[in-house]
Formats: sequence, structure tokens, C-alpha cells
Amino acid sequence: MSGRPLLDARDVTLRFGGVTALSEVSFTVERAELFAIIGPNGAGKTSIFNCLNGVYRPQIGSIRLDGVELIGKRPSTIARLGVGRTFQNIGLFTNLDVIDNLMLGRHHLMHTGFLAGAIWVGPARREELVHRERCEEIADLLDLGMYRNRPVGLLPYGVQKRIELGRALAMEPKLLLLDEPVAGMNLEETEDMARHVVALPDELGVAVVIVEHDMHLVMDIAQRVLVLDFGQVIALGPPEQVQRDPRVIEAYLGQPG
Amino acid sequence: MAAQLVPTRRVRRVRAPRTLPRRPADRLKLFRTPTQKLTIVVLLVVYIMLPNLLTDFWLDVLARCGLAAVGAIGLNLLTGYTGQISLGHAFFIGCGAYVAGYFGVQQNLPLAAWLPLAAVIGAVIGAVIGPFALRLRGDYLAIVTVGLLYVGAHIFTNWTSVTGGHAGTATAAPVAIGPIDFNHLHAFGQIYTRRQGMFWLCWGVVAIVALIATNIVRSRPGRAMQAVRDQDVAAEVVGVSLTRYKIGAFAVSSAFAAVAGGLFGVVQQFVNPTDFGGAPGLVLSISYVAMIIIGGIATIRGAVIGAVLVVGLPQVIQHFSEQTHIPFVKSTTGGSGVLSVFALNQIIFGLLIIVFLLFESRGLVALFERARGYFRSWPFSR
Repeated sequence: MSGRPLLDARDVTLRFGGVTALSEVSFTVERAELFAIIGPNGAGKTSIFNCLNGVYRPQIGSIRLDGVELIGKRPSTIARLGVGRTFQNIGLFTNLDVIDNLMLGRHHLMHTGFLAGAIWVGPARREELVHRERCEEIADLLDLGMYRNRPVGLLPYGVQKRIELGRALAMEPKLLLLDEPVAGMNLEETEDMARHVVALPDELGVAVVIVEHDMHLVMDIAQRVLVLDFGQVIALGPPEQVQRDPRVIEAYLGQPG
Repeated sequence: MAAQLVPTRRVRRVRAPRTLPRRPADRLKLFRTPTQKLTIVVLLVVYIMLPNLLTDFWLDVLARCGLAAVGAIGLNLLTGYTGQISLGHAFFIGCGAYVAGYFGVQQNLPLAAWLPLAAVIGAVIGAVIGPFALRLRGDYLAIVTVGLLYVGAHIFTNWTSVTGGHAGTATAAPVAIGPIDFNHLHAFGQIYTRRQGMFWLCWGVVAIVALIATNIVRSRPGRAMQAVRDQDVAAEVVGVSLTRYKIGAFAVSSAFAAVAGGLFGVVQQFVNPTDFGGAPGLVLSISYVAMIIIGGIATIRGAVIGAVLVVGLPQVIQHFSEQTHIPFVKSTTGGSGVLSVFALNQIIFGLLIIVFLLFESRGLVALFERARGYFRSWPFSR
């Protein structure tokens, strides 16, 4: 494997009018790495995600995935390049069932257009079958099989979070962005989700970037942690090193009086 | 014993119910259950037999229901499945009628040419209008599409070589497929009337359009349209191009509307701009919105049921108020009574929409589904 990291973000700066949401943020993510971004509320964690997949366009800096510049590309293009994502407050297609939600993850891997779809017999049906089989596997992997034909809007919160992870996995991404995957979950659901997340880099070879407030979880599973405060990087390194960093402690607990 | 105290991975596998086969290949079948297969056979028999049983008056009403169903399926793809509200549907229906007039009557092209051409022209115009939907949504899009009706009124009145201007134009385009002419059908020694032929033509097209719409909806483009409706940001993030599917939905919807318009042309035989443009166009567009709301948003069946109800019910009310005396309703212009039949129609129509929005926002289809659920779980249903 070459020395080039999978994701290389350099000096990413994002402003909304006079507010600087991100200021010269630089980091790299290696292949099959589990990388965490933490920081107090409003530190810019979700803003980074929004820059990485094209929802926001940073004014300065570069973000390269496998050498391809992502800044300036539309979210749907970036999805095709191999970036999958889940949302902090769940972005599922609520009226569709579980399998259809997973199938939408595979949208960019499929080719059926309006005409082929209208005819159905032949290529459209064949393609549909192949990808449905794969979605069934993903549903089973995440214990979603029993809900497969239920509209996702009616399912419990923890299950919806898992469906969203499933949809991101169905995209077969190189880089997976998980925005607070265990927010609002109880202990059991958190452990369930953590088990699924930890397995991803090893089993699927996908690099995972996770934004999370649950410190125990982050310190347990992440290989490296990036700490943000007010849009600036204040620490970057393995969990045990970051935990001891005085600037991190200050950001979280305040200055000693 | 000790092993049980360790939290193991919970087993949540439950056998799927019989009606939902696990194998995707089985689940993708259009007609799966015995009930569905029976329904399709019954519908086919009704389709073939009905023109032999009804009078020409009711066949004409049903043919108009059928062409409205084609248009309603189109609108449901746009509004129900993609979430784009349009009040410009009448404009595209008008385009289809004038295509029947120009290419069918003036150029004398056969059905197999002018009807697909109507669809293509509808799709192209829809694709041109579609980009408005990229910048506008909800109420704003609805208002902009109203503008389309007035642009339409202008074009329909002034492009006289095609539309005949104010005076209107003949739209009784040829309706023969090879030796089968729907105007003069004859089989088994029987000769059928034009009205009987129109019923078979319109509902034949409904079947084809419904199949096409179902296929779109259950494959990749239809799923993408629904993703745009439910969560546009997430749709874009999984790789669905909003541009492509919003414009695509407009194009498909307008294509179906134009086909409906072409059928309207041949059923009506003569159209003028007041059929589709300006204020009358707005009323027509709103009645299409009513069809999909009453029938069921984002269902193909719902669009058909809604069209039959919205187009058919006023005729039923009118017919029976002329035959029998309804209190307070005058059956003739000079008769006694507070309400005219037309006013009664409007009131019933309005009430229907209000009742549906209040009590069953998913439309008639949801009522059927509820009834089906009731009988399926009987005797455990309450």
C-alpha cells in the first residue's frame, strides 16, 4: 500500500459571514482506520462532515480522497466517489421500508434510468434482484431482517440509527462518516451499535470517521482522536495521549481557577 | 449457568409472514397473492364486458374517468412520489389535446404515432419547466406553476395555425391501431359504437400507463424520487442527484398528462383554450390535485380511484337529481329549490376533500387497506 492517506484535509477554513466555523483544520485518515472527532458543542464537528461530503463549501483549503479533490463537488458526486454518511438527527426516507432505504444506499452503484425502469422486464429487474440480495445480507448483518418491510418512520429510534448505518454501508464507501451514532441511546443500544462500528474497518476495510459525545465509547474504539474547539484543532493523536493533553482538559472542564 | 449471565448477541430473527416472501425475486412479482391474481382477472372481465352492459352516456363518463386517471397517475408521480406540488397540470393536458389536433387531425398521423408523440412533447416541455422546481418548493412552486396556465392560455389563443385560436380546433384524431379502429369496432358479427370504443381505448391506456408508473416506482428512479420527497439532503448525500430526479419527475408527469390530453381530444373531438388555459385551467388542475388526495397520495391505484370518483361522482349526482327529486335542489334551471345541481356538486366535492384531509389524509386507498387489515386479522380485530 502506498504511503498516501485515504483522506487528506488541509487548512480547511469555513466561514458563515463573519463567523469562522472551521479555521485551518488539517488531518489525515488512513485506510481502515477508526478515527474520532470530538469537541464541545458548536466546536465544528458536524461542519467538518458537511465539508467532507459537499453539503458546505469551505472557502480555503483542500480535501482529497485518494488524491481526488472533494471541495466544489456536489454531495451526490462525492457519494459516488466513496463517501458514506449518517446524520446526527437521522436522515432516513421515512415513508419507505427498510430494504428500500438500504437500496437507496446502492443508488450510485446501480444504472437503471427512467426508460429501463418503465420497461422493467430485463436489465432493470435483474439489477434490482442483485442489489436486493445484497441489501438483505446487510439487513441480516445489522439484525434488521425482522423489520425489512416496515416503513422506517414507524420504527424505534435505536433501530432507525442502525438502518442509517446500514444505508451508509450499502453504499460500499471507502470512507464512512458517522455523526453521533449512539446519541440518545441507552447502554444496551450503545453497546450494540459500538460492536457493529468496531467491526467495520477490519471486516469491510472501510475507514470510519466518527463524531461522538460519548467519551467512553470514543476512547474505547478510536485509533486516533481529533479534538476541536471553536473551529480549531487543539489536539490530534491516540486516545491516551489526547486524554492527557492540557488544552483538551481545559476545553472540556474549563481553566483551573 | 454462568454462561447465561454473559450478555450474548440477542437473537431477533423472526420468520417473515407468509404474505411477504423472503426471496427478493418472489417479492418483486407484481401479482403475488391469490387475491391480487383474482382482482386482475375480475378487472379484465369488467373491462371487456362493461361496454356491453352500460348505456353510451355512462360509457362516455367512464371514458373521461379513464383519461383523467392517466393524468392523475402522472400528477401522483410528481406530487405524491416526488413531493413537488404543481397546479400547472392542465397546461400539459392542453398540450396533449393540441398534439392530437395538430398531428392527429391536421397531419393525419395514426394513433401509434401521435399518442407517443404527445407523450414525448409533454416530456420535453415538462423537462423545460422542471428546472423551476430546483429553486422553488412547496407553495412557491405551486404559484409558479399557476403562471404556466396563463402562459398556456396565451399560446393556445395566439398560435392559431396549431390551436385554431379562440375558435378552437378539431381534435378527433385517428384512433386505429392497424385494422382495429376504436371509432368503428366490430368483432364476432357485432358492431360497436364510438362510445364503446372510447371506453376500451381510454381504459386500455390506463392499464399501460399504470403498469409503466408501477415499474418506475418500484425501480431505481422511483425510489430516488421518493428519497427526494422524504429527505432531500440525505438523498443527495447517498448519491441521488436532485436535479436529475426533480426534472425527470416533471418530464414523466407531463408526458402522462399530455397522453391524457390527447385522449381528451379524441373523446371531446373539439377543444378551445378555455378548456385548459387561465382560470378554467386552474379549476382543472385543482381537480387533479383533488383526485390524488381523495384517491391516495403516492399510490397508483389511488390516482385511478380518485379520478373515477372526482370525474364520475358529479355525473352521478346530476343524473340522479334529474331523475329523482332531492329536497332543496332544483333539477331544471327554472325549477324550485335553493341549490342548483351544479352548486350541489361543488359542495359535495368540497366536503369530500375536507373530510379526507381531516380523517384520512392517505385517501380512499388507506380505507381499503384498513378494511383488508381488519379482515386479515379477524377474529382478533376490533
